[in-house]
Amino acid sequence: MSNCDQFRDLIEAYALGALDPEERAAFAAHLATGCQDCAKAAEEARWLVSQLAYAAPEAAPSDMLKGRLLQKVHAETGDSESRGGDPPRHNVIPFWMWAAVAALLLFSVYSGWNTYRLDREIREANERAAALRAERQKAEEQLQQQLAIAKREAMIMMDPTSHKISLWGQHAHPETLEAKWHAQLGLCVSGDKVPMPAANHVLQVWFIPKAKDAKPMPSMMVRPDANGRLMFVISNPPEPMDNTKAIAITEEPAGGSPWPTSAPIWTGNVT
Amino acid sequence: MSLDATLLTRLLQKDVNAFEQLYERHSRLVYGLVLRILHHASTSEEVVQDVFLQLWRNADHYAAARGPFVPWLLTMARNRALDHLRRKSERQRRLEDQTDQLPAVFAAPDYEHTLDEKRRAERVRALMASLAPQQKRAIELAYFEGMSHTEIAAALKEPLGTVKSWIRNGLLRLKEGLQQQAKT
Repeated sequence: MSNCDQFRDLIEAYALGALDPEERAAFAAHLATGCQDCAKAAEEARWLVSQLAYAAPEAAPSDMLKGRLLQKVHAETGDSESRGGDPPRHNVIPFWMWAAVAALLLFSVYSGWNTYRLDREIREANERAAALRAERQKAEEQLQQQLAIAKREAMIMMDPTSHKISLWGQHAHPETLEAKWHAQLGLCVSGDKVPMPAANHVLQVWFIPKAKDAKPMPSMMVRPDANGRLMFVISNPPEPMDNTKAIAITEEPAGGSPWPTSAPIWTGNVT
Repeated sequence: MSLDATLLTRLLQKDVNAFEQLYERHSRLVYGLVLRILHHASTSEEVVQDVFLQLWRNADHYAAARGPFVPWLLTMARNRALDHLRRKSERQRRLEDQTDQLPAVFAAPDYEHTLDEKRRAERVRALMASLAPQQKRAIELAYFEGMSHTEIAAALKEPLGTVKSWIRNGLLRLKEGLQQQAKT
Protein backbone atom coordinates (compact mmCIF):
# COMPACT_ATOMS: atom_id res chain seq x y z
CA MET A 1 0.00 0.00 0.00
CA SER A 2 1.51 3.31 -1.09
CA ASN A 3 1.40 6.36 1.08
CA CYS A 4 -1.27 7.84 -1.20
CA ASP A 5 -3.64 4.91 -0.86
CA GLN A 6 -4.51 5.74 2.72
CA PHE A 7 -5.69 9.18 1.62
CA ARG A 8 -7.55 8.21 -1.53
CA ASP A 9 -10.91 7.96 0.19
CA LEU A 10 -10.44 11.31 1.88
CA ILE A 11 -9.89 13.49 -1.15
CA GLU A 12 -13.51 14.37 -1.96
CA ALA A 13 -14.33 14.97 1.70
CA TYR A 14 -11.22 17.15 1.96
CA ALA A 15 -12.40 19.27 -0.93
CA LEU A 16 -15.84 19.38 0.62
CA GLY A 17 -14.42 20.52 3.97
CA ALA A 18 -16.07 17.58 5.73
CA LEU A 19 -12.97 15.94 7.18
CA ASP A 20 -12.55 16.02 10.91
CA PRO A 21 -9.51 17.97 12.13
CA GLU A 22 -7.14 15.05 12.53
CA GLU A 23 -7.81 13.62 9.08
CA ARG A 24 -7.64 17.02 7.53
CA ALA A 25 -4.31 17.81 9.13
CA ALA A 26 -2.92 14.45 8.04
CA PHE A 27 -3.96 14.92 4.42
CA ALA A 28 -2.71 18.50 4.36
CA ALA A 29 0.63 17.27 5.64
CA HIS A 30 0.73 14.70 2.89
CA LEU A 31 0.01 17.32 0.23
CA ALA A 32 2.79 19.40 1.72
CA THR A 33 5.23 16.63 0.87
CA GLY A 34 4.64 17.51 -2.80
CA CYS A 35 2.60 14.47 -3.85
CA GLN A 36 1.57 15.40 -7.40
CA ASP A 37 -1.05 12.69 -7.78
CA CYS A 38 -2.96 13.65 -4.65
CA ALA A 39 -2.62 17.36 -5.42
CA LYS A 40 -4.15 16.83 -8.85
CA ALA A 41 -6.90 14.65 -7.37
CA ALA A 42 -7.65 17.37 -4.82
CA GLU A 43 -7.87 20.00 -7.57
CA GLU A 44 -10.33 17.85 -9.49
CA ALA A 45 -12.33 17.20 -6.34
CA ARG A 46 -12.55 20.96 -5.68
CA TRP A 47 -14.05 21.44 -9.09
CA LEU A 48 -16.51 18.60 -8.48
CA VAL A 49 -17.57 20.01 -5.12
CA SER A 50 -18.05 23.43 -6.67
CA GLN A 51 -20.67 21.91 -8.96
CA LEU A 52 -22.91 21.32 -5.95
CA ALA A 53 -23.67 25.04 -6.02
CA TYR A 54 -25.94 24.32 -8.99
CA ALA A 55 -28.13 22.26 -6.69
CA ALA A 56 -29.16 25.43 -4.85
CA PRO A 57 -32.56 26.83 -5.87
CA GLU A 58 -32.45 29.68 -8.36
CA ALA A 59 -32.68 33.12 -6.83
CA ALA A 60 -31.97 36.67 -7.92
CA PRO A 61 -30.53 39.44 -5.78
CA SER A 62 -32.31 42.81 -5.69
CA ASP A 63 -31.47 45.61 -8.11
CA MET A 64 -30.37 47.57 -5.07
CA LEU A 65 -27.42 45.24 -4.60
CA LYS A 66 -26.12 45.91 -8.07
CA GLY A 67 -26.56 49.64 -7.51
CA ARG A 68 -24.64 49.51 -4.24
CA LEU A 69 -21.86 47.43 -5.72
CA LEU A 70 -21.37 49.68 -8.71
CA GLN A 71 -21.42 52.74 -6.50
CA LYS A 72 -18.63 51.27 -4.40
CA VAL A 73 -16.65 50.27 -7.47
CA HIS A 74 -17.05 53.72 -9.00
CA ALA A 75 -16.03 55.28 -5.71
CA GLU A 76 -12.87 53.19 -5.72
CA THR A 77 -12.01 54.09 -9.29
CA GLY A 78 -12.60 57.76 -8.57
CA ASP A 79 -14.68 58.42 -11.64
CA SER A 80 -18.22 57.81 -12.76
CA GLU A 81 -17.60 56.14 -16.09
CA SER A 82 -16.14 52.79 -17.01
CA ARG A 83 -12.72 52.55 -18.57
CA GLY A 84 -11.46 50.97 -21.76
CA GLY A 85 -13.36 53.04 -24.27
CA ASP A 86 -16.66 51.22 -23.79
CA PRO A 87 -19.87 53.06 -24.56
CA PRO A 88 -21.34 54.97 -21.61
CA ARG A 89 -22.86 52.53 -19.19
CA HIS A 90 -26.40 52.92 -18.03
CA ASN A 91 -27.26 54.66 -14.81
CA VAL A 92 -26.35 52.89 -11.60
CA ILE A 93 -29.64 53.83 -10.04
CA PRO A 94 -32.40 51.59 -11.39
CA PHE A 95 -35.35 53.10 -13.23
CA TRP A 96 -37.83 52.09 -10.58
CA MET A 97 -35.88 54.13 -8.06
CA TRP A 98 -36.11 57.21 -10.24
CA ALA A 99 -39.82 56.50 -10.58
CA ALA A 100 -40.10 56.19 -6.81
CA VAL A 101 -38.28 59.51 -6.34
CA ALA A 102 -40.54 61.17 -8.90
CA ALA A 103 -43.60 59.73 -7.18
CA LEU A 104 -42.28 60.96 -3.85
CA LEU A 105 -41.75 64.44 -5.24
CA LEU A 106 -45.24 64.49 -6.70
CA PHE A 107 -46.64 63.29 -3.44
CA SER A 108 -44.68 65.99 -1.57
CA VAL A 109 -46.01 68.71 -3.87
CA TYR A 110 -49.54 67.35 -3.53
CA SER A 111 -49.15 67.12 0.24
CA GLY A 112 -47.84 70.68 0.40
CA TRP A 113 -50.70 71.98 -1.66
CA ASN A 114 -53.17 69.91 0.34
CA THR A 115 -51.73 71.24 3.59
CA TYR A 116 -52.02 74.81 2.33
CA ARG A 117 -55.60 74.18 1.23
CA LEU A 118 -56.50 72.60 4.56
CA ASP A 119 -54.84 75.49 6.45
CA ARG A 120 -56.85 77.95 4.44
CA GLU A 121 -60.08 76.04 5.01
CA ILE A 122 -59.36 75.79 8.73
CA ARG A 123 -58.59 79.51 8.87
CA GLU A 124 -61.82 80.34 7.05
CA ALA A 125 -63.79 77.97 9.27
CA ASN A 126 -62.28 79.65 12.34
CA GLU A 127 -63.20 83.07 10.97
CA ARG A 128 -66.75 81.89 10.30
CA ALA A 129 -66.95 80.43 13.80
CA ALA A 130 -65.66 83.69 15.30
CA ALA A 131 -68.26 85.66 13.31
CA LEU A 132 -71.01 83.31 14.46
CA ARG A 133 -69.82 83.63 18.05
CA ALA A 134 -69.88 87.46 17.78
CA GLU A 135 -73.32 87.34 16.18
CA ARG A 136 -74.61 85.04 18.87
CA GLN A 137 -73.10 87.24 21.57
CA LYS A 138 -74.71 90.29 20.04
CA ALA A 139 -78.06 88.47 19.85
CA GLU A 140 -77.69 87.41 23.49
CA GLU A 141 -76.91 90.97 24.50
CA GLN A 142 -79.96 92.20 22.62
CA LEU A 143 -82.04 89.50 24.23
CA GLN A 144 -80.69 90.43 27.64
CA GLN A 145 -81.50 94.05 26.91
CA GLN A 146 -85.00 93.15 25.80
CA LEU A 147 -85.44 90.98 28.87
CA ALA A 148 -84.27 93.85 31.07
CA ILE A 149 -86.74 96.21 29.39
CA ALA A 150 -89.54 93.67 29.65
CA LYS A 151 -88.69 93.15 33.28
CA ARG A 152 -88.69 96.90 33.87
CA GLU A 153 -92.01 97.18 31.98
CA ALA A 154 -93.53 94.48 34.14
CA MET A 155 -92.25 96.07 37.33
CA ILE A 156 -93.56 99.49 36.31
CA MET A 157 -96.93 98.07 35.31
CA MET A 158 -97.30 95.90 38.42
CA ASP A 159 -95.98 98.27 41.00
CA PRO A 160 -98.91 99.88 42.90
CA THR A 161 -96.96 103.10 43.36
CA SER A 162 -96.83 103.63 39.58
CA HIS A 163 -99.00 106.55 38.44
CA LYS A 164 -101.48 105.66 35.72
CA ILE A 165 -101.80 108.00 32.77
CA SER A 166 -104.20 107.67 29.85
CA LEU A 167 -103.00 109.08 26.56
CA TRP A 168 -106.11 109.98 24.64
CA GLY A 169 -106.14 109.80 20.91
CA GLN A 170 -106.78 113.06 19.11
CA HIS A 171 -108.47 113.52 15.78
CA ALA A 172 -109.09 110.22 14.04
CA HIS A 173 -107.22 108.09 16.54
CA PRO A 174 -109.57 107.15 19.29
CA GLU A 175 -107.44 104.28 20.59
CA THR A 176 -106.14 105.19 23.96
CA LEU A 177 -102.58 104.39 25.02
CA GLU A 178 -102.03 103.31 28.58
CA ALA A 179 -99.02 104.63 30.48
CA LYS A 180 -97.65 104.18 33.96
CA TRP A 181 -94.95 106.32 35.49
CA HIS A 182 -92.84 105.04 38.35
CA ALA A 183 -90.79 107.66 40.11
CA GLN A 184 -87.65 105.52 40.08
CA LEU A 185 -88.15 103.00 37.24
CA GLY A 186 -89.41 105.40 34.58
CA LEU A 187 -92.36 105.70 32.21
CA CYS A 188 -93.91 102.70 30.42
CA VAL A 189 -96.33 103.20 27.52
CA SER A 190 -98.35 100.50 25.75
CA GLY A 191 -101.20 100.31 23.25
CA ASP A 192 -102.73 98.38 20.35
CA LYS A 193 -103.99 99.28 16.90
CA VAL A 194 -101.47 102.08 16.72
CA PRO A 195 -101.33 103.48 13.19
CA MET A 196 -97.98 103.21 11.48
CA PRO A 197 -96.35 106.62 10.93
CA ALA A 198 -95.64 107.73 7.38
CA ALA A 199 -92.46 106.60 5.63
CA ASN A 200 -89.34 108.20 7.08
CA HIS A 201 -91.35 109.32 10.10
CA VAL A 202 -91.41 108.24 13.72
CA LEU A 203 -93.56 108.77 16.78
CA GLN A 204 -91.82 111.06 19.27
CA VAL A 205 -92.69 111.45 22.95
CA TRP A 206 -92.80 114.89 24.56
CA PHE A 207 -92.85 115.87 28.22
CA ILE A 208 -94.79 119.11 28.85
CA PRO A 209 -93.35 120.88 31.92
CA LYS A 210 -95.60 122.58 34.44
CA ALA A 211 -93.52 125.75 34.35
CA LYS A 212 -95.14 128.57 32.51
CA ASP A 213 -93.75 129.19 29.05
CA ALA A 214 -91.54 126.11 29.33
CA LYS A 215 -91.05 124.32 26.03
CA PRO A 216 -91.95 120.64 25.51
CA MET A 217 -88.99 118.39 26.29
CA PRO A 218 -88.25 115.92 23.43
CA SER A 219 -87.85 112.28 24.38
CA MET A 220 -87.91 108.81 22.85
CA MET A 221 -88.72 108.05 19.20
CA VAL A 222 -90.60 104.83 18.55
CA ARG A 223 -92.52 102.88 15.89
CA PRO A 224 -95.23 100.27 16.46
CA ASP A 225 -94.60 96.71 15.33
CA ALA A 226 -96.22 95.20 12.23
CA ASN A 227 -99.31 94.28 14.28
CA GLY A 228 -99.76 97.85 15.47
CA ARG A 229 -98.49 96.95 18.94
CA LEU A 230 -96.60 99.67 20.74
CA MET A 231 -94.76 99.27 24.00
CA PHE A 232 -91.75 101.13 25.31
CA VAL A 233 -90.05 102.28 28.49
CA ILE A 234 -88.41 105.62 29.09
CA SER A 235 -86.05 104.86 31.94
CA ASN A 236 -84.85 108.42 32.45
CA PRO A 237 -87.57 110.93 31.55
CA PRO A 238 -86.19 114.45 30.89
CA GLU A 239 -88.39 115.87 33.62
CA PRO A 240 -89.41 114.45 37.00
CA MET A 241 -93.03 113.45 37.31
CA ASP A 242 -93.76 116.28 39.75
CA ASN A 243 -92.55 118.88 37.25
CA THR A 244 -94.45 117.40 34.33
CA LYS A 245 -97.90 118.57 33.42
CA ALA A 246 -98.64 116.29 30.50
CA ILE A 247 -97.22 113.82 27.99
CA ALA A 248 -97.77 114.09 24.23
CA ILE A 249 -96.83 112.05 21.20
CA THR A 250 -96.39 113.57 17.75
CA GLU A 251 -95.32 112.26 14.37
CA GLU A 252 -91.93 113.64 13.43
CA PRO A 253 -89.42 113.11 10.64
CA ALA A 254 -87.05 110.15 11.14
CA GLY A 255 -84.33 111.10 13.60
CA GLY A 256 -86.73 113.19 15.68
CA SER A 257 -87.06 116.87 16.20
CA PRO A 258 -85.99 119.30 18.97
CA TRP A 259 -89.52 120.72 19.01
CA PRO A 260 -92.90 119.48 17.83
CA THR A 261 -93.56 120.04 14.17
CA SER A 262 -97.06 118.61 14.12
CA ALA A 263 -100.09 118.49 16.32
CA PRO A 264 -100.10 115.81 19.03
CA ILE A 265 -101.65 112.45 18.13
CA TRP A 266 -101.98 111.42 21.78
CA THR A 267 -101.96 113.54 24.92
CA GLY A 268 -102.43 112.73 28.57
CA ASN A 269 -102.34 114.71 31.79
CA VAL A 270 -99.89 113.53 34.38
CA THR A 271 -101.66 114.97 37.37
CA MET B 1 -10.45 32.66 -24.84
CA SER B 2 -13.81 32.43 -23.07
CA LEU B 3 -15.94 35.51 -22.38
CA ASP B 4 -15.24 35.22 -18.66
CA ALA B 5 -11.50 35.11 -19.35
CA THR B 6 -11.77 38.21 -21.54
CA LEU B 7 -13.77 40.04 -18.90
CA LEU B 8 -11.28 39.06 -16.22
CA THR B 9 -8.45 40.42 -18.30
CA ARG B 10 -10.29 43.73 -18.54
CA LEU B 11 -11.09 43.55 -14.84
CA LEU B 12 -7.38 43.56 -14.11
CA GLN B 13 -7.34 46.97 -15.78
CA LYS B 14 -10.14 48.10 -13.44
CA ASP B 15 -12.71 48.13 -16.19
CA VAL B 16 -16.03 48.79 -14.43
CA ASN B 17 -18.01 47.71 -17.46
CA ALA B 18 -16.31 44.32 -17.42
CA PHE B 19 -17.08 44.02 -13.72
CA GLU B 20 -20.72 44.81 -14.36
CA GLN B 21 -20.89 42.15 -17.07
CA LEU B 22 -19.35 39.55 -14.78
CA TYR B 23 -21.89 40.48 -12.14
CA GLU B 24 -24.76 40.16 -14.61
CA ARG B 25 -23.51 36.75 -15.76
CA HIS B 26 -22.94 35.16 -12.35
CA SER B 27 -24.70 37.08 -9.57
CA ARG B 28 -27.84 34.92 -9.70
CA LEU B 29 -25.88 31.71 -9.31
CA VAL B 30 -23.75 33.15 -6.51
CA TYR B 31 -26.76 34.63 -4.73
CA GLY B 32 -28.74 31.36 -5.01
CA LEU B 33 -25.87 29.47 -3.41
CA VAL B 34 -25.36 31.97 -0.59
CA LEU B 35 -29.09 32.20 0.10
CA ARG B 36 -29.28 28.40 0.29
CA ILE B 37 -26.56 28.46 2.93
CA LEU B 38 -27.74 31.43 4.98
CA HIS B 39 -31.52 31.35 4.43
CA HIS B 40 -31.64 35.12 4.91
CA ALA B 41 -31.99 37.50 1.99
CA SER B 42 -30.38 40.68 3.30
CA THR B 43 -27.45 38.83 4.88
CA SER B 44 -27.02 36.90 1.64
CA GLU B 45 -26.88 40.13 -0.32
CA GLU B 46 -24.20 41.41 2.04
CA VAL B 47 -22.15 38.29 1.39
CA VAL B 48 -22.65 38.50 -2.38
CA GLN B 49 -21.57 42.13 -2.26
CA ASP B 50 -18.50 41.10 -0.31
CA VAL B 51 -17.67 38.37 -2.84
CA PHE B 52 -17.90 40.66 -5.85
CA LEU B 53 -15.99 43.43 -4.13
CA GLN B 54 -13.32 40.88 -3.35
CA LEU B 55 -13.30 39.97 -7.02
CA TRP B 56 -13.00 43.64 -7.99
CA ARG B 57 -10.19 44.34 -5.55
CA ASN B 58 -8.28 41.08 -5.92
CA ALA B 59 -8.89 40.03 -9.48
CA ASP B 60 -5.15 39.64 -9.85
CA HIS B 61 -5.32 36.82 -7.29
CA TYR B 62 -7.22 34.79 -9.82
CA ALA B 63 -5.25 33.36 -12.66
CA ALA B 64 -6.29 31.05 -15.42
CA ALA B 65 -3.75 28.61 -14.05
CA ARG B 66 -6.00 28.19 -11.03
CA GLY B 67 -8.68 26.66 -13.21
CA PRO B 68 -12.03 27.81 -14.50
CA PHE B 69 -13.39 31.05 -13.15
CA VAL B 70 -16.92 30.12 -12.09
CA PRO B 71 -15.95 27.25 -9.74
CA TRP B 72 -13.37 29.59 -8.23
CA LEU B 73 -16.03 32.27 -7.72
CA LEU B 74 -18.55 29.78 -6.30
CA THR B 75 -16.01 28.42 -3.87
CA MET B 76 -15.17 31.90 -2.68
CA ALA B 77 -18.90 32.62 -2.23
CA ARG B 78 -19.45 29.38 -0.32
CA ASN B 79 -16.50 30.09 1.94
CA ARG B 80 -17.77 33.58 2.70
CA ALA B 81 -21.26 32.33 3.43
CA LEU B 82 -19.96 29.59 5.70
CA ASP B 83 -17.88 32.22 7.48
CA HIS B 84 -21.16 33.82 8.54
CA LEU B 85 -22.45 30.53 9.84
CA ARG B 86 -19.21 29.77 11.63
CA ARG B 87 -19.17 33.00 13.56
CA LYS B 88 -21.45 31.35 16.09
CA SER B 89 -20.29 27.84 15.54
CA GLU B 90 -17.68 25.38 16.67
CA ARG B 91 -16.98 24.69 13.01
CA GLN B 92 -15.12 27.95 12.80
CA ARG B 93 -11.78 26.56 13.88
CA ARG B 94 -12.05 23.43 11.76
CA LEU B 95 -12.49 25.22 8.45
CA GLU B 96 -10.58 28.35 9.28
CA ASP B 97 -7.51 27.53 7.22
CA GLN B 98 -9.68 26.73 4.23
CA THR B 99 -11.98 29.70 4.00
CA ASP B 100 -9.98 32.68 5.11
CA GLN B 101 -7.96 32.43 1.97
CA LEU B 102 -8.93 32.83 -1.63
CA PRO B 103 -9.92 29.49 -3.18
CA ALA B 104 -7.18 27.03 -4.04
CA VAL B 105 -6.40 25.66 -7.48
CA PHE B 106 -9.10 23.88 -9.46
CA ALA B 107 -8.50 21.24 -12.06
CA ALA B 108 -11.44 21.22 -14.43
CA PRO B 109 -12.15 18.16 -16.51
CA ASP B 110 -12.08 18.41 -20.29
CA TYR B 111 -15.83 18.63 -20.50
CA GLU B 112 -15.98 21.72 -18.27
CA HIS B 113 -16.53 24.05 -21.21
CA THR B 114 -19.03 21.86 -22.99
CA LEU B 115 -21.78 22.32 -20.42
CA ASP B 116 -23.77 25.51 -20.40
CA GLU B 117 -24.99 26.87 -17.09
CA LYS B 118 -28.61 25.91 -17.51
CA ARG B 119 -27.92 22.32 -18.56
CA ARG B 120 -25.34 21.99 -15.84
CA ALA B 121 -27.82 23.11 -13.17
CA GLU B 122 -30.50 20.76 -14.48
CA ARG B 123 -28.04 17.89 -14.52
CA VAL B 124 -26.69 18.50 -11.02
CA ARG B 125 -30.20 18.73 -9.59
CA ALA B 126 -31.28 15.59 -11.38
CA LEU B 127 -28.23 13.70 -10.15
CA MET B 128 -28.75 14.89 -6.59
CA ALA B 129 -32.40 13.91 -6.77
CA SER B 130 -31.40 10.42 -7.89
CA LEU B 131 -29.42 9.82 -4.70
CA ALA B 132 -30.94 8.09 -1.69
CA PRO B 133 -32.55 10.72 0.55
CA GLN B 134 -30.10 10.19 3.42
CA GLN B 135 -27.13 10.27 1.06
CA LYS B 136 -28.37 13.47 -0.53
CA ARG B 137 -29.00 14.93 2.90
CA ALA B 138 -25.48 14.08 4.05
CA ILE B 139 -23.91 15.86 1.06
CA GLU B 140 -26.17 18.88 1.54
CA LEU B 141 -25.25 19.12 5.21
CA ALA B 142 -21.57 19.05 4.29
CA TYR B 143 -21.78 21.48 1.41
CA PHE B 144 -24.50 23.93 2.45
CA GLU B 145 -24.15 23.70 6.24
CA GLY B 146 -20.38 23.19 6.41
CA MET B 147 -20.70 20.15 8.69
CA SER B 148 -17.96 17.56 9.19
CA HIS B 149 -18.38 13.81 8.87
CA THR B 150 -18.76 13.46 12.61
CA GLU B 151 -21.33 16.26 12.86
CA ILE B 152 -23.35 14.79 10.02
CA ALA B 153 -23.28 11.32 11.59
CA ALA B 154 -24.59 12.82 14.80
CA ALA B 155 -27.23 14.86 13.01
CA LEU B 156 -28.50 11.90 10.98
CA LYS B 157 -27.94 9.37 13.78
CA GLU B 158 -25.97 7.15 11.41
CA PRO B 159 -22.56 5.44 11.80
CA LEU B 160 -19.60 7.59 10.86
CA GLY B 161 -18.36 5.11 8.25
CA THR B 162 -21.75 5.06 6.56
CA VAL B 163 -21.79 8.82 6.31
CA LYS B 164 -18.29 8.87 4.81
CA SER B 165 -19.31 6.30 2.20
CA TRP B 166 -22.50 8.14 1.35
CA ILE B 167 -20.67 11.37 0.73
CA ARG B 168 -17.81 9.91 -1.28
CA ASN B 169 -19.99 7.66 -3.38
CA GLY B 170 -22.51 10.43 -3.93
CA LEU B 171 -19.82 12.80 -5.19
CA LEU B 172 -18.36 10.14 -7.47
CA ARG B 173 -21.80 9.49 -8.87
CA LEU B 174 -22.21 13.20 -9.49
CA LYS B 175 -18.87 13.20 -11.31
CA GLU B 176 -19.87 10.28 -13.48
CA GLY B 177 -23.21 11.85 -14.27
CA LEU B 178 -21.61 15.07 -15.41
CA GLN B 179 -19.16 13.15 -17.55
CA GLN B 180 -21.96 11.21 -19.23
CA GLN B 181 -23.92 14.35 -19.96
CA ALA B 182 -20.86 15.96 -21.49
CA LYS B 183 -20.52 13.01 -23.84
CA THR B 184 -24.11 13.30 -24.98
